[in-house]
Amino acid sequence: MVADTLGTSWLRIRAIAHRHAYVLVRSPHRLFDVTLWPLVDVLLFGSIATFVNSGQATTGAKAASYLLAGIVLWHVVYQSQIAVSTGFLEETWSRNLLNLMVTPIREWEYVAGVALFGMLKLAIGIGVMVIGALLFFSFDASTLGFGIVPIAAVLLLVGWSISLFVIGIVLRWGSGAEALAWGVMFVVMPLSGIFYPVSALPAFLQPVALALPTTHAFAALRTLVDGGGLDWTQLGIATVSALILAALSVWFLVRMLSLFRRRGYATRYS
Amino acid sequence: MQQGEETSEVVLEARGLVKDYARARAVDGVDLLVHTGERVALLGPNGAGKTTTLLMVLGVISPDEGWVEISGRRLARDRSRAAEEIGFAAGYLPLAERLRVREYLKLYGQLYGLRDPRPEITAGLERFGIPHLGDAMGTELSSGQRTLVGIVRATLHHPRLLVLDEPTASLDPDVALRVRTGLRELSDDEGTALLVTSHDMAEVERLCDRVVFVAAGRIVANGSPKDVAATYGRGDLESVFLHLAAERPAARPHAVPAPDPDRGA
Repeated sequence: MVADTLGTSWLRIRAIAHRHAYVLVRSPHRLFDVTLWPLVDVLLFGSIATFVNSGQATTGAKAASYLLAGIVLWHVVYQSQIAVSTGFLEETWSRNLLNLMVTPIREWEYVAGVALFGMLKLAIGIGVMVIGALLFFSFDASTLGFGIVPIAAVLLLVGWSISLFVIGIVLRWGSGAEALAWGVMFVVMPLSGIFYPVSALPAFLQPVALALPTTHAFAALRTLVDGGGLDWTQLGIATVSALILAALSVWFLVRMLSLFRRRGYATRYS
Repeated sequence: MQQGEETSEVVLEARGLVKDYARARAVDGVDLLVHTGERVALLGPNGAGKTTTLLMVLGVISPDEGWVEISGRRLARDRSRAAEEIGFAAGYLPLAERLRVREYLKLYGQLYGLRDPRPEITAGLERFGIPHLGDAMGTELSSGQRTLVGIVRATLHHPRLLVLDEPTASLDPDVALRVRTGLRELSDDEGTALLVTSHDMAEVERLCDRVVFVAAGRIVANGSPKDVAATYGRGDLESVFLHLAAERPAARPHAVPAPDPDRGA
């Protein structure tokens, strides 16, 4: 009967909706998808618009240089973070974590191995971007000089540090938290003033932005793009704060791994 | 104490292991002693605490109380060095995806510190009768073949203790026989101690010279299969298993009581 069929279908539809409501309520990080990311997009593009409107980008060419240099170096952070995070997640996806955990490999050895391969992927990715920027926009990254090397090194350290936080969170809260591997970078991105100075951000977010090592690294980059040489002050702040972030991420990962072993979470992956 | 234990070297010593999970005590004061070349089965009903005990022996789960030593190395202090002496395989663990069998085995040989694991890979594949699978992709293998490759992986580095969680579960009798034969050879030739969990009591009687029964997280019997069966007045291990599983039905919420055929339950 039609009524029965419709009634049964509605019952099933409600049951499925209910099942996903449980998942959302019991995995708070999934709320990011519906709350945080839309806000982040508004922030990113609104800030770019504010910057362009303010007249600080005096010429179109300068704005394009900020954007291109920014996006190339942003990928140092992004790709290094993703490479280490997804390297670990791959072990959870293929249920290989237990196989690895019983071997003599030490935690730092594992992270270093994944990071090493990540650097190869990073080199390829950055190479493609630099060539693309040169071919499509006549932006020659080599004109920035060797000053770009220490800035990239700081950003690499930040990317790895964030990945250690992500791995720690996945160890503690399970693979449901893996969306953070990608998502966390889209929070860091607009706050770091990659394409615009921090002054273009809403006032209440500026202190948060100034606490991030990436903000100072990209500030140093913009000085470099402006032809002002290497801004040692900004680079120094970026380096010290990146080292603090790295130390915190190692501490967090060690704590989460200890909790993982104490609570027997390895059985999730067997 | 088993015959000969006094003189042979201890490869695994675990004392007073306790593990609590949120809703129940999984392991409650387990002591284990395994010597070179011994073949020991850790038996018990589902939820008895066998796998948790194994994972504590492997250093994957840390005990709430007690300690584990592998060849004299305390696991909590020196996990990496202790892990060099252990191999682990389980019927339920997959192979890494997108790798050929030899590539997979090479990876693990290197994780165990073998600079050139090729001779060990060839010998291991031969021992377990699968030399033809070296170039196969992991995804092309049957579950039995994956289990055999997993055991080869676990033995590449000549471990002093091989821990096997249900190694022959879901294997056909032919492959199961190959596994048992290979493990017995390994134990006899290299003195590798085996610590095995299994629900196949006939297999345990064929492979192991000592059985440790666990129920509700505690060791309730420890001895040769014949001695344990005789102690409980049963003809074989399966009857002992059913008896012990039925004896403490209320001890743990997830212990499944089993009927005792000898009592006509």
